[in-house]
Amino acid sequence: MKRLITYLLGFGLLLSSAVYAAADVEAGRVKGQTCLGCHGIVNYNNAYPSYHVPKLAGQHEAYLVSAMKAYKTGLRSHATMYGNVADLSEQDMQDIAAYFSQDSQ
Amino acid sequence: MKQLISHVLAVGVFVVSANVLAAADIAKGKEASAACVACHGVGGHSTSPMFPIIAGQHADYIIHALRAYKTAQRKNPVMQATAQVLSDEDINNLAAYFSAQAGLKTLRR
Repeated sequence: MKRLITYLLGFGLLLSSAVYAAADVEAGRVKGQTCLGCHGIVNYNNAYPSYHVPKLAGQHEAYLVSAMKAYKTGLRSHATMYGNVADLSEQDMQDIAAYFSQDSQ
Repeated sequence: MKQLISHVLAVGVFVVSANVLAAADIAKGKEASAACVACHGVGGHSTSPMFPIIAGQHADYIIHALRAYKTAQRKNPVMQATAQVLSDEDINNLAAYFSAQAGLKTLRR
């Protein structure tokens, strides 16, 4: 019985670690390639209306995730951003946020 | 000739001063930033993960975001309330101030 409980606890831990997998910068580098088309070019401009696309390097991860979610749920409206985040999972967003939050030189 | 010079000077002074008046005012932006500090930190260097760092962000992007909050195109209760009381001049000045701080950068591949 004791052993069963230990197994169950162990299994539970495994599950939770899967759910709360740490953000992975390397995975974010791969998943974030599309983002670089605009966010990786210094002084790149958004069109209609015209303004510079925001700088993301050094930004807080949690904020980047919440911003992506805001585009996904329509709290922020931007057709291109919606198109790019609509299919992202929570894990994808965390990985991409971890990648972009790095300070750039 | 003297008259020509004075005309040129007058036009020059007028044009230059008009430009200065139209330009956003970083000092005024700093004054107006008092309301922003609680969340975005001094100079826009937020230390709270949920609130974006705005130091060094592009001025025109900050203007775009503030106008979007003001007109409720972007929905966020706190930012809508905060932006509501800002004039276009306030927004331009705040953007000039925060964008002039060292901070965010563009990620290089």
